[in-house]
Amino acid sequence: MEYFIVSLLNGAIYGLLLFMVSAGLTLIFGMMGVLNFAHASFYMLGAYFAYTLTPLIGFGMAMIGAPLLVGVVGVVVERFFLRRVHSYGHAHELLLTFGLSFIIAELVKLFFGNFPIDYRIPASLDFAAFRIGGADYPFYRLIMGGVAIGMFALIFLLLTRTRVGIVVRSAIYKPRMAEALGHNVPLVFMGVFGVGAALAGLAGAVAGAFYTTNPNMALELGVMVFVVVVVGGLGSLGGAMIASLLIGMITSLCVGIDKSLADLFSLLGMGDWAQGIGGLLTLKLSSLASTIPFALMLLVLLVRPSGLMGEKEYL
Amino acid sequence: MSASKFIRTVVVACTALLLGNVTSAAPLKVAVIEALSGPQASTGLSFRNATRYAIDRLNTAGGWNGEKIELIEYDNQGGPTGAADKLKAAIADGAQFIVSGSSSAVGGQLTDDIRKYNIRNPGKEVVLLNLGAEANELTGEKCHFHNFRFSSNAQIRIKALVGAMKKDGVIGSRVYSINQNYSWGQDTENAIVEYASVGGYKVVEKTLHDVNKIQDFSPYVSKIVAANVDTVITGNWSNDLLLLMKATKASGLKARFGTTFLDQPGNLANAGDAATGHYIAHLFNAEAGGKEGEQFAEDYKAKTGRYPAFIEGQAVQGILMFGEALKAVKPQGNNLNVNVWALELENTKFKTPMGELRMRAADHQALVPVVVSVVSNDAKYKVDGTALGFKPIMVLTGDQAATPVPAACKMQRPT
Amino acid sequence: MKSMRFWLLVGATLLFLMPLVHSQSLLNASIQMLIAALFACAFNLLCGQGGMLSFGHAAYFGVGTFATLHAMKAMGGVGLLPTPLMPLAGAVAGLAFGIIAGWFATKRSGTYFAMITLALAELLHALAPHLKSLFGGESGVSTMRMPAWGISFGNSTQLYYLTLVWVLTSLGLLYLFTHTPLGRLTFGLRENSHRLRFLGYDVHHLRVLIFAISAMFSGIAGGLQAVCNESANYVVFESHLSALVVLNAYIGGVSVFLGPALGAALMTFFGYAVSDLSRSWLLYQGALFVVVMMFLPTGLTGLISSWNESKAQYGLVRLLPVAILWLVAVLLLAVSSVFLVEFLQRMFSQDYRALALANPAVPWPAITLFGRPWFPGGATTWLTPILIFFAGCWMVRLAKDRWQALLDDADVDASLSEATGNGVKS
Repeated sequence: MEYFIVSLLNGAIYGLLLFMVSAGLTLIFGMMGVLNFAHASFYMLGAYFAYTLTPLIGFGMAMIGAPLLVGVVGVVVERFFLRRVHSYGHAHELLLTFGLSFIIAELVKLFFGNFPIDYRIPASLDFAAFRIGGADYPFYRLIMGGVAIGMFALIFLLLTRTRVGIVVRSAIYKPRMAEALGHNVPLVFMGVFGVGAALAGLAGAVAGAFYTTNPNMALELGVMVFVVVVVGGLGSLGGAMIASLLIGMITSLCVGIDKSLADLFSLLGMGDWAQGIGGLLTLKLSSLASTIPFALMLLVLLVRPSGLMGEKEYL
Repeated sequence: MSASKFIRTVVVACTALLLGNVTSAAPLKVAVIEALSGPQASTGLSFRNATRYAIDRLNTAGGWNGEKIELIEYDNQGGPTGAADKLKAAIADGAQFIVSGSSSAVGGQLTDDIRKYNIRNPGKEVVLLNLGAEANELTGEKCHFHNFRFSSNAQIRIKALVGAMKKDGVIGSRVYSINQNYSWGQDTENAIVEYASVGGYKVVEKTLHDVNKIQDFSPYVSKIVAANVDTVITGNWSNDLLLLMKATKASGLKARFGTTFLDQPGNLANAGDAATGHYIAHLFNAEAGGKEGEQFAEDYKAKTGRYPAFIEGQAVQGILMFGEALKAVKPQGNNLNVNVWALELENTKFKTPMGELRMRAADHQALVPVVVSVVSNDAKYKVDGTALGFKPIMVLTGDQAATPVPAACKMQRPT
Repeated sequence: MKSMRFWLLVGATLLFLMPLVHSQSLLNASIQMLIAALFACAFNLLCGQGGMLSFGHAAYFGVGTFATLHAMKAMGGVGLLPTPLMPLAGAVAGLAFGIIAGWFATKRSGTYFAMITLALAELLHALAPHLKSLFGGESGVSTMRMPAWGISFGNSTQLYYLTLVWVLTSLGLLYLFTHTPLGRLTFGLRENSHRLRFLGYDVHHLRVLIFAISAMFSGIAGGLQAVCNESANYVVFESHLSALVVLNAYIGGVSVFLGPALGAALMTFFGYAVSDLSRSWLLYQGALFVVVMMFLPTGLTGLISSWNESKAQYGLVRLLPVAILWLVAVLLLAVSSVFLVEFLQRMFSQDYRALALANPAVPWPAITLFGRPWFPGGATTWLTPILIFFAGCWMVRLAKDRWQALLDDADVDASLSEATGNGVKS
């Protein structure tokens, strides 16, 4: 029972981390129609910037400084790179961000080296919150979850309750009309891109201390974030939250299940037959834990391609 | 001069230039095919640096046949496909010895490709010097005469680890095995089960997980906690080990860890003090080598700027042993006959700071000394800028550490 | 078109004569270039001609590879088919998998289609390590080429000719396909699929067919790689490879038939040539992608065709100075960037940092680059690339002005001749 609770909690927090990174991505996609391959690179940059800033201005200030720096990088990327290729079509924008992700990863390797760096939680935050199931539950995890929830609340309120939010939402929904009404839509785009990047940077700064910080961070998280965005619905913040929680918890719970499809068949008395066939049927759920999100993504795309909470597509 | 004649002359000149390089007597060429860029570059670069250092040492001592041994580097871009391409490039450039070690997948690809090339090109054979790929099959079902492994394998490491931990009285009776789900991880898991009686423990639970894909190991740590074990034995490396250590530290799990790759740079820095008391079975520890070990470490530091870490020590010893066998081989018409070298290597007894290194003729698995160390504040050589290091507690000679020749190895020797 | 056919013939002849003048390593590189070119053209059938951007095409390439490997291993290692016909196994597997995957993927269009293909590829990539009997796990599946038809296929030259024949035949078939009614309909799919539906065609079936054919030729490319490398593991399903083929196609130019082939060949060669010269070659590759995407949106073939157009319109004499200015500008910018990157890479590398720490008397020792020592503290070290970079930027400015002047002159000439023409008419 305790194991179940711990798994659920861990899954929820991992999901919240995924949300922090995918929130920006889904907003950017909803706004510009381009899937930003470099988004996970912003996550990585956040961690590395925080690592560089912590000895200079302290951990707390670095948590603010690193996302700001990444936001600046995001603005630069949008203004000088993406805007130029906007007229060439979606494929070009996509490929541009792909090339940018390469460049960012290589630049990080150039300056910081190939090995994981020693970016750690400060000792003041490194204690156990409570004890459950015979193990400590680190307080920092709760901080990560808190930051994510706080971020979600902030963005949601910003988008729905403020004037800026209304302008942003209209620019996402009908950019031409918003422009015709006199709003500076390119500025809005730049702002949303920068804020999205800053969110990913914040996620990196917070999570990089807990997990490892290495040049492959972007690759490792990138695909999962993409899955979250697709399952949740492109452009929907609420969908991203639900999808990331779902995927986080599924991945976490599956690790504990050592059963396979063959075991299911044995309930029906066909266990030996299933074992004999082997292959897919004898794969344990625990070893497939990181594969299941892709199956989920495929299912969603086939059944309801706009995602759990995206807009319905008429096709 | 007409246009066609001019073109013909140019073509002939170019061809002559290109072919010319091949016909002149060239120095002995050694190619290192490693991941020098991309995600796995850190380990690849370590192997490359160690090989460079060792070849430089051999050249300072005179090289071979009065000439310096030439080391050419190839980037396999992290995967077996890149390795296969670069192998062809290396052979085309005249390399007779191929050095590799960071990946069992790459090692498997290289050994198969070299075996096929040797069958198709008798008289121009190429040899693989495997400095670190430790999957069992490389000296098991994939063994062949022109393939030599200078490092250990899963059985050797686990046998040494388990023996030393039992002797220290820390292994307890309940053991958890967690490994990566591929050849090396599966070999390690099998070895952990195999040596249960030797270690006097019971394997309570075994887990295999995806390789270098998992970010959050806390579910696995929860499983370990629920299993209530004394010791956790793992063959994980790189991120998988790092994240496992971090998750363990975060959860306050009190089990002891027995590992094979804890000395990878970055691990101790990230694991911090929670790593104290964990064990590792590895092939080189300067502190265990006494005076020679210290001399070697200082020389390595003088030439490369750091003490030898992780696989660098074992890689250097492997190349130096290669050079030792070279000394006794006379050139045949200004060229090296690799078969003569190979037969010489099987009889070579090379003295390393860890003990004597010999090559077993049956499967070309080295009888390599193994050191079991524990993470402690008392270690002589500190690691990763922390106050911790690896303190050796037991050194097994090559023969003591050795495991039986695998039945799957059916080596065909040249006549 | 006559000149086009002439150039193609010249190109094909040169390709056949290559092994006579080229070294072994270049020959190996050429085999990889040919395979990449075929894969890119097969991909372009779907993307450039059919308008369906697929982000998971490595799946069909990989399926072809493994199917061919299993065919080579069949019957105790003798093989199901003689070696030269082996890629047919890859074709069949690619076709079968393409029909199944295509049926699902083409139910949606646009971005969703791209994401379904990516999801399929990622699913396959995630499952492959677990399906050991099919994909062999980490060490993959390996086999051996058998001699056939009197040829041993033991050396690179024979493999080169085998690959060349297959690639040229496949490219020819793909080209002929564009002239068939189905091929013409492919263009229609790209332009306006709604109208096709109104004309009575079953768009979904059409899409599945195109998808399957594209997957079939990708399978052939995969099969060729299986024959040449004799082994593969699940890494061939990585998303990196899928993205690479998209990039190769766009760098070459998707609107011209041979564009992707050119792009793939160049990028593969670039990888070969530069990966052993510099540790930061991935950075250069990424920078190349970004530059091409930003400044050459129609790809290299677009550049060639605009050159031809301009030459026809303005004449070589007036065009040449502008072209030279552009070339010099690009060269200067490239040299300064490469210098900076290489220098920084060495300066921040672990070896250098250790060296700097080891000798406190000399805190920043010199770094040798291009045969000369450069001091990190020295002004020349930093001024050189910066000055060259600015020179490059100035050249770009000059080139742009020159080009604008050329356009203006041409406009003036055109309007003058129009005016005089009108005036003379009486």
